[in-house]
Amino acid sequence: MSNVYLYNNSFESLMHLISKIILLKNNPDNIKNRVNYEPNLLDNIIDLELKDTKELKLFLNSFSLDILHTVYYVYLSENDNKELIIYYFLKNALKYHNEIYLHRNLKCVNMAINISNYVGREAHKLKGFLRFKLLKNNFYYAEISPTNNVIEILSNHFKKRLKNEYWLIKDVNRNIYALYDKKNVYYLTDKEIVSLNLELDNKEEKFEDLWKSFFETVAIKERQNFKAQRNFMPKKYWNYILEMENRI
Amino acid sequence: MVIKMDLKEKLIILSDSAKYDASCSSSGSSRKNANGVGNAAYSGICHSFANDGRCISLLKILMTNSCIFDCKYCINRRSNNVKRAIFTPEEICTITINFYKRNYIEGLFLSSGIIKSPDYTMEKIIETVYLLRNKYHFNGYIHAKAIPGASEYLLKKLGKLVDRLSANIELPSDNSLKLLAPQKSVNKIDKIMTTVKENKSRFFVPAGQSTQMIIGASSETDLDILNKSEHLYNKYELKRVFYSAYIPVNSDKLLPTIKMPPLVRENRLYQADWLLRFYGYKVDNLLDKNNPNFNILLDPKADWALRHLDEYPKEINKASYYDLLKIPGIGPKSAQKIINARKVFKIEFSDLKKMNVSIKRAMYFITCNGKYYFNNAISKGFIESNLILDSKEKIESIGTQLTLFNE
Repeated sequence: MSNVYLYNNSFESLMHLISKIILLKNNPDNIKNRVNYEPNLLDNIIDLELKDTKELKLFLNSFSLDILHTVYYVYLSENDNKELIIYYFLKNALKYHNEIYLHRNLKCVNMAINISNYVGREAHKLKGFLRFKLLKNNFYYAEISPTNNVIEILSNHFKKRLKNEYWLIKDVNRNIYALYDKKNVYYLTDKEIVSLNLELDNKEEKFEDLWKSFFETVAIKERQNFKAQRNFMPKKYWNYILEMENRI
Repeated sequence: MVIKMDLKEKLIILSDSAKYDASCSSSGSSRKNANGVGNAAYSGICHSFANDGRCISLLKILMTNSCIFDCKYCINRRSNNVKRAIFTPEEICTITINFYKRNYIEGLFLSSGIIKSPDYTMEKIIETVYLLRNKYHFNGYIHAKAIPGASEYLLKKLGKLVDRLSANIELPSDNSLKLLAPQKSVNKIDKIMTTVKENKSRFFVPAGQSTQMIIGASSETDLDILNKSEHLYNKYELKRVFYSAYIPVNSDKLLPTIKMPPLVRENRLYQADWLLRFYGYKVDNLLDKNNPNFNILLDPKADWALRHLDEYPKEINKASYYDLLKIPGIGPKSAQKIINARKVFKIEFSDLKKMNVSIKRAMYFITCNGKYYFNNAISKGFIESNLILDSKEKIESIGTQLTLFNE
């Protein structure tokens, strides 16, 4: 039998759970998200009560912002063992504090840094590659399909940048929407979106056409280099990059 | 005669004639969004990559490609018979704002041919940027060209509105400039750079100034060019010098005839430029009168290392930061990782790999805890041939812009 601890589909819940497991002194066999956990006969599921928010706050206060940033980014990855990596990383961070970043020979530290960098790099790329379309209802609408779950990082970026616009970003694979109403960002699922009218604004086509013309013109023919283009802008993003649509 | 054109035709003409400027950077500014549209990202953001592999970050356009100057190398020179167009300030604002809100771009890069006079042209640029900032409340990145010969008060006005200013030197020596761009003069460029340097602040050109030199249109050696760059970095605190491989757009008896733009040479100059700015090298370490041009087959750092093999191997667990930077394949990021890690443990070859420090090129030049990667002594020729093959692969696949050393 292995002991499996379940958390409730949020970063806070995972952190809360880990704060409790650390107190137990026994390392967990696994930590999993309740939402996508598939029960099996060998697992002994352990539910811990995660209600006392004071407890959580106290635990979070024992870490620097750097450390919380790192584990949050690991949480946004799709690594199968991310919960255990976060658990061991935090356990060591209680001992080493910010010096933990020097201990790259500790597997959990090295993995946490590499995974969090990977998530950060993808989020940075998508800050550039994401494309909005203006809809009739005045919403700027974008679809993405990132490898990591970076929609929250992108939303924080666009909340500052386009703070006076309505916008909606859809993560196509995860079926998550980030909706901004000029004040707050709301994260919604398919079921929570009542109706979605994707009809384009009258001027949309004109500006898309202008952009595609600019994109073609600005390249210097004598320097043509599709290989470099693909290296910097990987094919897996092309589906949602307006100017690359006809190249797929 | 001015014929009425639609916006698309103008955009095509005026981006086509702006594309030879190598600068694409949108970094160095942290302008905030004061309840309008947009902000700047300090690290800069690439929004797309063109078919030539160069980053597209800014809407790079000319206000007009009409010009009273007749610089020999320039596609927009007065004597060329090309289609001319001019944007109104409102048109530029409309395209910029609409592209920006759709997240196509990080901002605007506005340059222009010179119409009527340098002052008149500069006033038009200022009018456009002023509209963007004050009518459209645009807080995204703006890079504007300063027009050589325009009045200082106009330059000061423009500097308060933009994130970056640049004036292109274009040719590395006064003689070449006199020959190929007689209406531009070193003095005029010098005046611009001095004014920008003296006034630079959080509110005046916060992302600093840059310039560009064309490579291969005139007879200068790499040594001449790099000396010029080093001088510019020191004297005007330039953020960047861009190098642009000469592409023949005009034929003129004063210009060289070439089949291919010197892209590898351009790449070597970028690499050397990085060595000057971030690696602690000086020009006279890299080149001298007897050896005034870079080795086309090897990057300047590897080339230097092979000529100074007696300084290697360097011990990863002991070498200073700048000594680590002298190892081919190790850049500032990797050097910092090594310095951090060795505070708490002794680094082995396998640790480097785990930390994502590539040893593909470094392995010939280092020891880890006294151990060398190869069991037998290896010769200079052995290292050289391996590095040349690596470098060949990289030039073909990476292009020249962002990843200069792949470190």
